[in-house]
Amino acid sequence: MSRLRSLWRNLVHHNRVERDLDDEVRAMFALLVEEKVGAGMSEAQARRAATIELGRVESIKEQVREVRAGARWDTFRLDLRHSVRLLARSPAFTAFAVASLALGIGATGAIFTLFDNIVLRKLPVEEPDRLVVASFGRPGRNHNYSLPYPQFEAIRTRSQTLSGALATNPFGRVNVGIRGEPGTAEGIYVSGGYYATLGVSPARGRLFEETDDRPGQAVAVLSYGYWQRRFGGREDILGSAITLNELPFTIVGVEPASFHGTEVGRPYDLAVPLRARDALDEGSPLWDQAFATWIYVMGRLRPGATIEQAEQELNVIFRQVHSDGARTPNEVRLAREMTLRLQPGSRGAASDLRNQYERWLGMMLGLLAAVLLLASLNIATLLLSRADVRQREIATRLALGAGRWRLVRQFLTESLVLATLAGALGLAISVWGSRTLLRMAVPSAPQLPLELAFDLRMMLFTAAVSLGTCLLFGLIPAIRATSPRALVSARQVGGSRQRRRLDRVLVGAQVALSLVLLVVAGLFLRTLGTVWAQDPGYDRRNVLMFSVDARLAGKRGPALPATYRRLLDELRTAPGARAVSMSAVRPVSDSYYFVSVVSKLGDKALPNDQGVRVAFNVVAPGYFGVLGIPLAGRDFADRDSLDAPRVAIISARLARHFAGNPIGQQLEMGRDGTYEVVGVAGDSRYARVKDSPREVVYLPIFQTQPRHIFYAPTFEIRYTGSASDLMASIQAAVSRTEPALAPFRVRTLEEQTQDSLSRERLIAFLTSYFGAFAGLLACIGLYGLMSYRVTQRTPEMGLRLALGAQPSAVRWLVVRDATATVLVGAAAGLVCSFLAARMVQSQLFGVKTHDPIALAGATVLLLMMAVAAAYLPARRASRTDPLTALRHE
Amino acid sequence: VSQKADLLQGTLDLLILKSVALGPNHGLGISRRIAQITQGTFDVKPGSLFPALHRLEERGWLASSWGESESNRRAKYYRITKTGQRQLEVEVRAWQRTVLAMGRAIDSTS
Repeated sequence: MSRLRSLWRNLVHHNRVERDLDDEVRAMFALLVEEKVGAGMSEAQARRAATIELGRVESIKEQVREVRAGARWDTFRLDLRHSVRLLARSPAFTAFAVASLALGIGATGAIFTLFDNIVLRKLPVEEPDRLVVASFGRPGRNHNYSLPYPQFEAIRTRSQTLSGALATNPFGRVNVGIRGEPGTAEGIYVSGGYYATLGVSPARGRLFEETDDRPGQAVAVLSYGYWQRRFGGREDILGSAITLNELPFTIVGVEPASFHGTEVGRPYDLAVPLRARDALDEGSPLWDQAFATWIYVMGRLRPGATIEQAEQELNVIFRQVHSDGARTPNEVRLAREMTLRLQPGSRGAASDLRNQYERWLGMMLGLLAAVLLLASLNIATLLLSRADVRQREIATRLALGAGRWRLVRQFLTESLVLATLAGALGLAISVWGSRTLLRMAVPSAPQLPLELAFDLRMMLFTAAVSLGTCLLFGLIPAIRATSPRALVSARQVGGSRQRRRLDRVLVGAQVALSLVLLVVAGLFLRTLGTVWAQDPGYDRRNVLMFSVDARLAGKRGPALPATYRRLLDELRTAPGARAVSMSAVRPVSDSYYFVSVVSKLGDKALPNDQGVRVAFNVVAPGYFGVLGIPLAGRDFADRDSLDAPRVAIISARLARHFAGNPIGQQLEMGRDGTYEVVGVAGDSRYARVKDSPREVVYLPIFQTQPRHIFYAPTFEIRYTGSASDLMASIQAAVSRTEPALAPFRVRTLEEQTQDSLSRERLIAFLTSYFGAFAGLLACIGLYGLMSYRVTQRTPEMGLRLALGAQPSAVRWLVVRDATATVLVGAAAGLVCSFLAARMVQSQLFGVKTHDPIALAGATVLLLMMAVAAAYLPARRASRTDPLTALRHE
Repeated sequence: VSQKADLLQGTLDLLILKSVALGPNHGLGISRRIAQITQGTFDVKPGSLFPALHRLEERGWLASSWGESESNRRAKYYRITKTGQRQLEVEVRAWQRTVLAMGRAIDSTS
């Protein structure tokens, strides 16, 4: 208790305590004098004797301070004040150090936040480690994460190793009507055991149970976010009626705020039971089809059961369901070859966002660690130079008996001040940066796919990184500057040889690292250029696209194509629209990718496993004209309707599989489709710019069964004038056609192409940004080093100039001094960049890892920057006044 | 002048506590009283006295307050606390044990 009190007194009433101590020593002195005068000394004699007896007052006080509670905190406070004063004295250095560190820490924090949210984090559910994710496929091949419903039903009812199983099926946009007022939302079908298996409890009302997942049950659960957004968090929505695509449903509960579904990056607004699909979806019931894959399945291991045991057991069930359900020879073969796999599901179901960005984020973190290392080295170099200036002070203090550790601690305090400032600033940057990067990664999403909360993990990470860098850049100068050898050389002209070598190594390392970053940036920029320059086979200029979904307006069956046909007619009259068409898959698609197998070309039937794998699309008349794809034969026309003979247009690549001219020949695709080929279209990229050209079959959209194709088709319009003018007339045309319809996913084909390259652009942007940043850091480091060297060599330069050396010769002397360091660094950097390029190889497209343009470009750029950095001090050296320089000595 | 023994820290603490236990005193007084009760064997210099006084105060064995000396000078007076009193007893016992043991050890060798 008393110790606490004295700690309080010492820390809080610091000044009073100091004064008290001072008074006490003073009083002692007075008493001593008095005593000695009493013993017969003169006043002057007494004073002298008292002074001798008292000894060194400051040393006494220092010792007293040491024994007092919080003494360590006291010295820290002293160091802190000293450091702040030192840093305030050189604001340029401080600003640069804090800014460069903050940028490094902030960027690392931003990427870490994304990495944490997308890759590391576990689902906020009960015991996430016991969750498993099911997929199936041939061993060693790509697995399919969508399972058939009978498999799920069998697993759910028969498994002994799982305590529960759940199935989900996201169904995308849904029109949620509240008292007649429409609004779109993202919906998901979930099985009755979804919430119980996950162990999620409601925030309001109740969540689904098995009894909800029955035909005829029309109930819905809202996500917390949607409840807040659309319903303002009102309590009275429980039990209230809403409509989903014009069908009545009842809200029964709200999910907890922390829960965002099982797939990272794909949050939904409301959930309905799986069986509600019968009412909501046009598709045929898939409940008993053992080979129709459409649901994602997860399970929870029973306590004590291992994932291997569960996989074994589930495989028995899986094979049995498969072989029971196999009807065709193909299905029998599938049933024989396919096996089920279970993977740990603590991070949720397979996630597109995670698949796409996991490797990339890891790579980015590595890259940023390099940048951060570089920034730290840079500050270490600058701190070393600053320490040089204080060399005499340090030497004196050491000579007077200050402990080395005490001095190191003081140096570290200075670094700590820098790191703390940078960490705070970096935290702000990372909060802003993670959002911005996510926005860049998913440019077309109306809402961020993740809730990036400002949380403890991120703060801890930033703090750890800041402290780590602080130790890194603080310890090197602290230990070097206080080493006994540094002491000896303090009086030596030109600094110690060791000190110079350390400087050079640091600057060389910076040059090497920044060259690696610049090379990687170059490779990604080249990748972006190559992808953009790919000829996609269509003309991407002046094409505007948008989607509508008539299902959201409650249209069913034949009313769907009829609505779209009316919209097409309306669009044709829109001012600015030169040609109009529609298709199920966009030329650059972010939603659909349809594949099938062609089993018969003309008269030639292909054996079961030798069918041509094709991608297919369904398009309206005029599609090829709108996109500028050359077409031989005839285009689809209005007469290609449901009751007319079935026709197809094929891509040139598929045409090559036919014997002779394919036009007029028959083609068999999928299970039961025979088509007459009426045209051959030029090859174009199906769905993705980076895809290699593939065989494509086009079918007429109004000859297709609506349930297959009419999931929010895309309308393509080739326009003249501006896209925004056109948009206004499109809006008008849509509401003339059907007031309840609203266009969405409105993009020009160029924008859509850019969006599809968002990852490449993000990488190119980030690597260029950090490459440039790193290069700049290296040059500042080099500049600092050369300035220091020039200062050290001022007398020598003066002497040379006095003896008649040309200024240009002196300049060359300095630049040459820098050249060696830069060249060695650059050579090391080139070697490392080969390794780095290997690591990013999978992300490159159409560019070799040793792409000469990227390598040469980066090297030349860096060398130019280095020469510029060395030239400034060189010029200063050549302008040395010989007299001043010599007087210096 | 008598021989000045090196002061072990524990010894110094014991001496200070003992001296203050005889009555509150200021720094110089404590130093002088120690010299007096040890008959000049121990002469505590301010360089060791002040840190020791503050250390004992931090531990709660001594308490201090400002007061007036006999010659009406302002001085900081130290007095022993209850825990200080207990500590003094503990140290005295420990010291007596040491003395006893040392005495026996020395006797046995002679």
